[in-house]
This record gives sequence, structure tokens and C-alpha cells, in this order.
Amino acid sequence: MEINAAKRKIPSRIEGYGETSGKLYEGAFARAPSGYRAGPRMRAAVPNGKSKVTGSIKEAVIASGLKSGMTVSFHHHLRNGDFVVNEVIRACAELGIGGLTIFPTALFDVHKAIIPCIQSGVVAKIMGSVNGAIGKLVSEGKLDTPVVLRGHGGRPRAVMSGDARIDVAFIAAPTADRAGNISGRTGKSACGSIGYAFTDAEYADVVVAVTDNLRSFPISPVSIPGVYVDLVAVTDSIGDPAGIVSGTTRVTRDPLRLLIASHASKLIEASPYFTDGISFQTGAGGIPLAVTAFMKEAMKRRGITGSFGLGGITGYFVDLMREGLVRKLMDVQSFDLEAVNSISADPNHIEISADWYANPWNRGAAVNMLDIAVLGATEVDVDFNANVNTEADGALLHGIGGHQDAAAGAKLTIIAQPLLRGRVPCVVERAHTVTTPGEVVDALVTEFGVTINPRRRDLLDAVADFAISKQTPLVPMDELAARAREMSGPMEPIRVTDRIVAVAEWRDGTVIDVVRQIER
Amino acid sequence: MEANAIKTARAGTLESMDCLVAVADSDAGRVIEISGASAVRFKSSMEKTINDTLDALGAGERLRISVRDNGALGVVLGARVETAYKRYAGLAE
Amino acid sequence: MLYLPGNNPNMLLRGHLFGPDGLVIDLEDAVSASEKDAARVLTREALRRGGFGRCEVTVRINGLDTGFWRDDVAAAVSCGVSGIRAPKVESPRTVLDLDEEISEAEEKYGVTRGSTKIFCLLESARGVWRAYDIATASPRVTAILPGGEDLAADLRAGRSKEGTELEWIRRMLIVAARAAGVDALDTVFPRVADDDGLRRETAFVKQLGFDGKSVIHPNQIPVIHEIYAPTEKEIETARRIVEAASAAAARGLGAVSLDGRMIDAPVIRGAEYTLARAGLSAEKV
Repeated sequence: MEINAAKRKIPSRIEGYGETSGKLYEGAFARAPSGYRAGPRMRAAVPNGKSKVTGSIKEAVIASGLKSGMTVSFHHHLRNGDFVVNEVIRACAELGIGGLTIFPTALFDVHKAIIPCIQSGVVAKIMGSVNGAIGKLVSEGKLDTPVVLRGHGGRPRAVMSGDARIDVAFIAAPTADRAGNISGRTGKSACGSIGYAFTDAEYADVVVAVTDNLRSFPISPVSIPGVYVDLVAVTDSIGDPAGIVSGTTRVTRDPLRLLIASHASKLIEASPYFTDGISFQTGAGGIPLAVTAFMKEAMKRRGITGSFGLGGITGYFVDLMREGLVRKLMDVQSFDLEAVNSISADPNHIEISADWYANPWNRGAAVNMLDIAVLGATEVDVDFNANVNTEADGALLHGIGGHQDAAAGAKLTIIAQPLLRGRVPCVVERAHTVTTPGEVVDALVTEFGVTINPRRRDLLDAVADFAISKQTPLVPMDELAARAREMSGPMEPIRVTDRIVAVAEWRDGTVIDVVRQIER
Repeated sequence: MEANAIKTARAGTLESMDCLVAVADSDAGRVIEISGASAVRFKSSMEKTINDTLDALGAGERLRISVRDNGALGVVLGARVETAYKRYAGLAE
Repeated sequence: MLYLPGNNPNMLLRGHLFGPDGLVIDLEDAVSASEKDAARVLTREALRRGGFGRCEVTVRINGLDTGFWRDDVAAAVSCGVSGIRAPKVESPRTVLDLDEEISEAEEKYGVTRGSTKIFCLLESARGVWRAYDIATASPRVTAILPGGEDLAADLRAGRSKEGTELEWIRRMLIVAARAAGVDALDTVFPRVADDDGLRRETAFVKQLGFDGKSVIHPNQIPVIHEIYAPTEKEIETARRIVEAASAAAARGLGAVSLDGRMIDAPVIRGAEYTLARAGLSAEKV
């Protein structure tokens, strides 16, 4: 057992994961890469060679040479509408392929259909976020091998460095041609950006595009060129449009969320970053989106314009760009129909890969250019460590997403969250899981006001005026934690066993924390 | 003796930060059942709130208290238990 | 002043966070007849727990024509609330009955005698007509407020978007309140998603002289504060008036003029009030 720089006890060897010595979290920017990138198997296609197009997912699985024990990867741009993961796993089960490692960029509730295949051993290991029913299964120790949690930047880093190898990548492709050129912009299953799939296409030994919209060669624009793609599987439908894109994203009217968002926006306005060229990532959550709405008012009032919005893009951000309040959108994931339409039509709406978005081990990801990140968390502890992975009962229910990357990259990282969800406090003495270390979290904003990480003396100076304003109180962390304790009352500890069911990696591949099995 | 006419009274709601409390007859002493949002992390303090509230009201032991919680703070749980018990006690003997 | 439904834990515990100047815990219209007991217990427990920050806390009790109001008064006074909002007040007699009940409760629960204020809701033509008599019926009366829906119905007018039916009522209440030396507080604006309508109505009642407005939704609070906040220009003028007045006082002069305008005692009081609202002169006044 060793203690890492996030003060977490990590065993020196984790069954099903490997040795951790020399791989413990040392600090947000402590490690740098050395040596050369890993690479996929070389392959070639000759003129007039064999067609890439196969009739079904099952035929593509056979043609790909997928064997038991291999690693298959998926992207999550079809979100809760995705059919591809379930169909590939079902095909594998029918073909007698087992012991697979699945390596999705995220799984959704719709993927609970693979639970029988987890129980029967078709799927032996998951590297990627799990939530809902699969999260519960993992938390109760039903998988023999721990889940490996990586964020959006850590995942491409792991692939490029050779930490994670992909045998076959199955890439859901809303539009493709027979040469394997892929785009997410058009087709009945259009999802906009397919940024999470780029690295898989470049680094997998075999790449299968799965499409329900095969168009004549060549399509344009192309997101992933056919030079990476071995096979094109054609199927009736790769997803349910209702689950792929959401309806128009509207700003919440919920007063509590608006209050927190208004506090956060005042903090941003008081910060030194609120100036021409400001950039931000706020995602699609209720509070962050409302922060964007307040910032929009403030930007208009103060006459400033922003440079870019980053990350998951909604119609709300599209409107900001149309109104000239940000110049560009850098889109790794398009959340709603407006975003999908905009990325197809507007050259200022840029599709970026997860590597470009967030990878710490390239020559400069977009998050490094970020001024403001507004994020959520299920828990923040008195050292500002944030937990986004486990719930109040200790169950693994969320992936890391872009949390670590945006926090590490942004000049001002704000976690905006109600102090209480029901009776459960979000501010605790010690987070059950550390996803993102306090080292890269600058402020916590709750309904009680703004709490600044004391490490950021400059920010404390910038918001000194808040102390006399009635509207946005400044609350020191110890006061906030005491209030949370007083309101919630004494909590019973989460009872866990020694068995590790998930390993959370920091962006650089070091182990920041482990999640243990819940005791029943 | 009347057969099987179990006396039950309820108070509260299942709205956010509230709870639904039912008080009924019990043959087995004071029985407390808790389910819902806070059950995992707050069971013992919830039991204490329930017992303290009932004791302060001079309630007897032969009660079954069922709580369906949706994130009620202790102060709310206490109020709901008090109302449910008073309603229970006010039912026709 | 934000109304909080007395049987809603979420709002009771969080209402003060939205920064209203006062909270009105409602045991009347916001609570159904079958839940009056539950709301009273919950309200009492929430009041005992406290933690309402800087908010003045009052309780709107059930009408004196119901069987609930005495228990409501006992629950509220035992927790030491600042005031009682009495609905449907039609005569000074009602105020006197309430005053008496409050006095007994104050004595019983060891609360300073006379410390619990009365806010009178005038929700009928009869109540509005006797506004001055009601406002002067007891020294506890600190404010009078027009009703909304009930009053419109009593006037056989119905409620309009522009509030035409309440226009004269509001003017009348201002006169009665000022004559009686109590505050005039306006009724709620019921359309919670119509910020522009709220802004218009608030600007109108502010111009009439109302001291504040009740709200039923937290999102309405910033709109009202924005309108009631003195403008930069108003603050600057007020500051100059107060400075000129104190300079004159130091030189032993009774009255001075500023920018050709006579600065006398009422003007100075108005200026001081403006500065107080802007949070600038609390230590000076």
C-alpha cells in the first residue's frame, strides 16, 4: 500500500490492473512523456482490391479477425440512442467470441443490454466510464477485473503511448462511403462532431465503420478519412435519433440553479479573465448553461466578446456565436440538433478530436487555451478535491468525461453545485473518490456563495468586494463544510470491502484513486 | 376486540427535501422502517430523530413508523413524525 | 418579501438564500385545509431552527374567521417572528382581536410585549375603505397591503395584465398608510415568467410610493431589487444633499439651497433614505 500525491492509499499491485509502483499520481503536471508513440499494425489496400463494404455487423466482426480476449473500442457520439455497442457485442456472443475488453469513450443506460454478456463472460473487462445499471453491477463486484476510468484526454494519451491497445475499433458512422470516409454531420443518425473516434481510427489494428447511410464515393466534408478504415459495415440503423440529439437546450428556470449560476457568473466577471477574448467551457448541465446565460448578459453589458467555446456544444453556444459573443466553437461533441446543424454549415464551428481537445501528451490541447471551466461534481472535499465518479452510497455511477482536462487546462476552474442534494452534502471532509485534485480546482460555488481555493490569493483579492455586497457572499471552505455538517447531521461511513472494482487514472496515466466494492 | 382494523396516519410528501411518514399500530414494540434517498448514509440519525420526537410527544412503544425519504433534513423528518403521530393519536379510539 | 409555502420544506429551508429582504411563511392560501396541521408543525420547527440570514421573518396566518388562526399565532409568536401577516382584514375590530391574541402569546412564551408586528392584508372593498382606521387600530400595525385576486373579485373586476382594477386602490392605500404612519407594501405579481410585466408594475408602484413588493417566486427578487435600487444619479444627488445639509448645520444655518432647490428637512430625510437603501450610510444615519 502506498500513498499518492492526492493522499490516497493505492495498493502496489491491483489484481486485473497490474503494478502501480512508479504509476502513482505525483501531481497534476508532474509527468512528461519520453520515447516514441505506439502505432497500429501496418496494412495496405491495392487498387481494385477487395471491397471494404460488408453486409452486416456480424460479417464485419468475422472479416475483422476479432478473436476472444481482444480489445474492441467504441465512441459515444450516439449517446443514449446508440445501437452499435449492443449489436457488436451480440454478434460476438453469437460467434462464440468471449473474454473481450471493451474500450468505449463512454457507456450509457441503453448499453445495459450487454449485461447478460458481461455475466456470461463475452465481456470480461471494461475500460471506460460506466453508469446506471452497469455501474451498479461493477460497484457490487460482479466483474472479475476492475474497470479502468480515464478522462477524455487520458484516453487518447493511453492509446498513443501504448498503455491501451485497440484490436478492432467499431466506429458508428452517420455517413460513410465505400472507401471508408466518415462524417457525423449528415444522415438520419447525424450526431455532428465525431471527435472521440479520431484516435481510435488512427491507432486501432482494424477499423470498422458502421453506417446506416452509405453514400457515393467521395463524401464531403470528411471527418475521418478512409485511409484509416478497413471495413464498412452497412446496417439498417445505427441508432435512435431521439436518443442521439436532445431537443433545444433551454436555460433552467429552477431558482436554486439560477442562484448558483448567478454567483458563479459574478465570480467570473470579477476575475481578471473577464476581458476581450475570454474563452470558456460550460457543457450542457443545468447550472453551467445558466452560467453561460448570465455571462452573456454581462458580456453585453460590459461590451466584451469571447474567443471560443470548447467541449460539448449546445444550441445555446451556437446562438452566442451567431450573436458575435464568441468567435469560434471547438466542438468535440454536439449535444443538440442546433449544434449538429451548425457544425455542418458554419466553418467557425470546428470539429476537434479528443486528442486535440484534451490530451496532455501532445503539443498543446485546446484545454490549455481555456480561461474558464464551469464543472459539476458529486462531492468536493475541504482540500477542493472533486469526485465525479461515485455517488453518496459509494456506487460507481459516472465517468470522468472532460472534468480532469478542463480543470487542468483552465485558468479559472469553478465547480458549481448545490451544497445539499436532498440531505446529502456535496462538501465533505474527505471525498470518497478523488477524480480531479484540488490542485487544479480554483473555486467552489454553491447556493451559499463563492468559496475560493486559498491557493488562489489573486482570486481572493479580485473578489474582495464581494465581502461588502449583499448579493454574492464569500464563504471560506471551513465555514461551508461546517454548515454542510450542521444541516445534514452526522453521516454514516460508506462501507466498502478491500476489493477494487475500478481504477481512476489521472490524465497522465498515473493512478489517482481506486473505487472499492460496496459492502452489502 | 375489533379484528384487523389497523390504525394508520400519514404526514409529509415525496417532494424533494421532504419525506412521507406513516404511523400505525404495532404488536412488536416500536418498529422503524426507513427507505429512500438518505437511508444509506443517515439511518441512525434518522432513527434517533424519530425516537426523540416520539418520546417528547409521550408516544408509547406499540408503533410502527415507516419513512419514505426524499432527502429530508432532520428538522423536516421531526416535523413530519410529529404531525403523523398527532394525526394517529387523534384517530377515533 | 418572498412568500414561502408553509408546508414546503425545500422552500422553507432555502428561501432566504435568494436574498429577499423578508420572508413570509404562508399558512393560508398556500396550504390546503387538510395540511394546516402539518404546515404549522413544519413552520414551527423551521423557525426554531432559524438560519434565515438577514431576512425579516413573518408568518401569514389563516383568517380570523377560521378555526386555525389561534394555533397559527401561537406557533409563530412562540418562535419570536418579527410579525404576523393577517389576511382579509376588514375592520379595526379584527386588528384588536389579533392584537389581544398576540399579547397573550407573547406573555405565554416570554416574548417581549409588543415586539410582534402586524401586517394587514386588505383584500376586500370594505377593508380598503377602512384602511386608515385599520392601520391605526393598534401600535403593532406596521404595514398595510392590498390584496390581489380576492380584491379584484370583490370589486367584480377580475385581474387584468395592466392591473387597472388595482390602480386606484394602490393610490388610496398609499394615502392611508402615510396618514397612519405605516408602510405600504404591494401585492404579488402572479405571472412568474413575465419579467417585463413585473418590471413595469414594480416601477409603477415604486413611483406611487410603495415601500416594497411581495413576491411568490425567487426569480422575481432580482427584478424588484433592480428597480428599487437607487440609480447612480439618485445616489450622487442624495450624497450632495446630505453633505450640503451637514455643512449648513455645521455653520448653524437652518436651510440651504443646492442647484437652485431648497434643501429642507423632508428633502434631507429622503436623501438619507436613498443612501440607506444603497447601503451607503447605515453608519451615518
